[in-house]
Amino acid sequence: MKKRTLTCVVCPNGCELEVCLDNKNLISIEGSTCKRGYKWAKQELTDPRRTIASSIAVDNGDWPLVSVKTDRPIPLTDIAKVMDAIKAVRVQAPIKLGEVLISNAAKTDTSIIATRNVVKL
Amino acid sequence: MQKITTPAKYDVLIIGAGVVGSAIARELSKFNLRIGVLEKNIDVGLECSSRNSGVIHSGIHYKPGTLRARVDVEGNSLMAHLCDELKVKYKYCGKLTVAQKKHEIPELQELYDQGCKNGVKNLKIINLAEMQKIQPGIQGTAALHSPTTGIVNPYALTIALAENAQANGANILLDHNVCGIKHDKNGFKVKCTNDTELSSKLLVNSAGLFSDKICRMLDIEEYKIYPCRGEYYVLDKRLEGSLKTLIYPVPGHDASGLGIHLTNTVDGNILIGPSNEYVNKCNNYDTTEKIMEQLRKEGRELLPGLSMADFIRSFSGLRPKQTPPEKGGFKDFVIEKRQDVPGFINLVGIESPGLTSAPAIAHMVRDFVAEDLHLERKNEFNGTRPDFSSHFNELSIDKKIALVAENPDYGEIVCRCEHITKKEVLDAIRNPLGARSIVSLKYRARIMMGRCQGGFCLPRLTHILETEYGKDVSNYIYNGLEGYLFTGRVRDTINN
Amino acid sequence: MKTEKRSIVVIGAGPAGLAAAIAAYNAGAEDILILERDTRLGGILNQCIHDGFGLHYFNEALSGPEYAQRFIDKLRDTSIEIRSDSMVLSLTSERVLEVSSSSGYSRIEAKSVILAMGCRERTAGAISLPGSRPAGIYTAGAAQNFVNMQNIMIGKRIVILGSGDIGLIMARRMTLEGAKVEEVLEIMPYSSGLPRNIQQCLNDYDIPLHLNTTVLQVHGRERLEGLTLAKVDEKHHPIESTKRYIQCDTLLLSVGLIPENELSRQANVNLHPITGGAYVNENLMTSTEGIFACGNVLHVHDLVDHVSEESELAGQSAVKYAAGKELKIDKEMIKLTPGNGVRYCLPHQISGKNDVIISLRVKEPNRNRHILIHENNHNIAKEKIVRLHPAEMLRINVKASNLKSCREIKVSIA
Repeated sequence: MKKRTLTCVVCPNGCELEVCLDNKNLISIEGSTCKRGYKWAKQELTDPRRTIASSIAVDNGDWPLVSVKTDRPIPLTDIAKVMDAIKAVRVQAPIKLGEVLISNAAKTDTSIIATRNVVKL
Repeated sequence: MQKITTPAKYDVLIIGAGVVGSAIARELSKFNLRIGVLEKNIDVGLECSSRNSGVIHSGIHYKPGTLRARVDVEGNSLMAHLCDELKVKYKYCGKLTVAQKKHEIPELQELYDQGCKNGVKNLKIINLAEMQKIQPGIQGTAALHSPTTGIVNPYALTIALAENAQANGANILLDHNVCGIKHDKNGFKVKCTNDTELSSKLLVNSAGLFSDKICRMLDIEEYKIYPCRGEYYVLDKRLEGSLKTLIYPVPGHDASGLGIHLTNTVDGNILIGPSNEYVNKCNNYDTTEKIMEQLRKEGRELLPGLSMADFIRSFSGLRPKQTPPEKGGFKDFVIEKRQDVPGFINLVGIESPGLTSAPAIAHMVRDFVAEDLHLERKNEFNGTRPDFSSHFNELSIDKKIALVAENPDYGEIVCRCEHITKKEVLDAIRNPLGARSIVSLKYRARIMMGRCQGGFCLPRLTHILETEYGKDVSNYIYNGLEGYLFTGRVRDTINN
Repeated sequence: MKTEKRSIVVIGAGPAGLAAAIAAYNAGAEDILILERDTRLGGILNQCIHDGFGLHYFNEALSGPEYAQRFIDKLRDTSIEIRSDSMVLSLTSERVLEVSSSSGYSRIEAKSVILAMGCRERTAGAISLPGSRPAGIYTAGAAQNFVNMQNIMIGKRIVILGSGDIGLIMARRMTLEGAKVEEVLEIMPYSSGLPRNIQQCLNDYDIPLHLNTTVLQVHGRERLEGLTLAKVDEKHHPIESTKRYIQCDTLLLSVGLIPENELSRQANVNLHPITGGAYVNENLMTSTEGIFACGNVLHVHDLVDHVSEESELAGQSAVKYAAGKELKIDKEMIKLTPGNGVRYCLPHQISGKNDVIISLRVKEPNRNRHILIHENNHNIAKEKIVRLHPAEMLRINVKASNLKSCREIKVSIA
């Protein structure tokens, strides 16, 4: 049995949650003042997810890199292989903000989308 | 960068391109001689010459009859003309040596007498009222006012001397670290760690902190250098104008330095320091928490209204002292032509006032050279440098507008804190000596010396370097060949 | 050199300047000029590629560039003139600006000036890091610029000094790009970063955070080789027995931001010793008439959403002033000062005739307290806050009706 303290990030209250775990099984959560916090803690402890931001190489653009992000939170354990997919790719200018640059990155369903415009030189 | 042609044999090789070595090179470049300067670092003046208060000393502090006294006073009188020719900023702002307590006044009188004997002009001991006319708010009992004390930018002077020497035919060889010297009746064979070997008729030792090391290569064992470190703080330019003159305390009798003082710089900063501490290595330029705290405390006492945000940077310099820690004090300069090693002109222990004395030492060395070689003046010697001595942002608004119209790169600001333009940065990058470290650019263009210390301008500068130095960013160096700034690229693109 | 006469001049096209200019346009101004020293618009947002921007303002989680683009897009529908690669060299209290650009010098006389220059990072020199001066020491923001904008990798083995959000963000960024972030050091007993960032930037990647720790010495002649670290006591004095050495080639500093008020000083704007930014009244007008301040140059923000809201007020005020409205508050001015537990509050002077938003920061972390806006024992506003942290700016709404006959108001924690 393990005890852990988490700071909830759903709203600015930042409630400190005391959780009890048995391996991956959630035994109890204390300290949450709302349902959303409870839901978040459950997800965070059993299957934590993150959006990540990085850069993709651009050829012939006014920026050498286009900033990108995952279009949805992905499992923490998938971050490494999604990063590999991002590092392996090179795109050509012009790029439009919101454009999908990689679909189904590393077979995770997530798309990698551009977060800035890149003009062709 | 200027092309260098290596002669089969030099007439004079100078070891060390500090302010003294560079001054010697420039002086000798006035004559038809083959001159070479061997500098171990990747740029000139990176040791003592760039790490000091930048003071043009009047000569009050030195014992009459010593070499130090003589070359300082002479150098002081030569400095204005030299800086005018080389377009280096300087200012004769004077100095107040302040006696806080009555019992220090006899020492002031001693300094006054000493100065007069040394030929220093216009010295006067003044009272508090007169002191406050010069520096409002100053405290003390009395002070010695020396109007012939001045300030100069020491690294700008060293670079200007070296570049002008090179423009007049001297070879400034950077990254040439002397590791062995052979000597016979024909002259010298000097070996460097980069596997070059050069021959010369005469050899000048101007190696500063390493002058004893050079002596030992010729089996001259009688000299030893004890590095004595001085730490400084640089204060924000917003205090510019609060110091009307240099302010020094009366020095103790066997102090190894001149005591912690406040110095203006020609660029508008104020320096607090230096401290005084013997160290065990000639490259120990560390700053220490203990000394920095002391400097902060003394700074706040000397300059009321100082806030922590005003301390923008600290640095240290090393004095090449000939006196060991247990003795302290000063020993006179060694500027000699060796009888036991004919053709060897030896300079040892040129600590303060080495900067002020440099032009006079250069004359002395020239006279030594003249004893062995025929000196024929070069008609085409040009002692002046082009452009302007100040930074662009100090020019009049009309001059600026005209220059920007001619060259748009004068309109683009790269260093936001100091208002340094792209043209000045390009000039620094394209310097005739081929120096290519960031520190070299700093000392030439003043970029990165402001409040943000490169936070904003280094990225902008890097962008310019990609065009000037090429896209392999792992080659860019900060302060030495091993001082890489970057490890490479984040991603490969077709553009790199 | 001819003098150009303009109505509203905004210095800086980062989030503050953009929001101020657009708000000025929406308030009816027809002549608005933005001067930006960089080539691109968007300011520091361009390099903040992580998300967390716009949660309040747009109700979306955007990255920095996306947030900036929303405002840049709005410019297209306005008559706002933008001059980039143009640096303001000087500003007088009569609102005369001298501007340098590669197309020449210009002198501009403005009816209203909005200061939106942002801030710079505290440097290694300013914190007097003892030891040598090798390559490899960068402020976190400069490193972010290199990695995200210039495609340059700065090092392989990294230590971060300062647990503010910029340092935490860079810990994650560098790790994702293949560097090894050894540890994050924080001299205080608590981190100054958001808990979300501690989790997502450090814990996710097993990067240790060492509180009460500082750097004693930097080692390395030409490139950084290592650091001597130690724990510190409550007075921040190092504890000798905890000294240790860590090998690394890069040190990132995230030790504070300083508002860039060099131009403000030239224009005789009075600066507040704690915020480092201008003293302002409820119209965000500084002590110099017709000069307004907003965004990080006024006080360092943690949420760009607040910057946008604040800057809109500055833009609206600038328009009123240019139209001849009296915005100085002299008579019957109410002073606002920080009370118990509050580090600073802003604005510093209010009229009592308008609703006002008071921004403040607390001195220490706390939970379940009230922010009290009061004059002596008379409460003007009271708000319960579950989580208080120095790193999180609070903004409290105060109604004009509650400000009647006040003279000196305090903002305190109760």
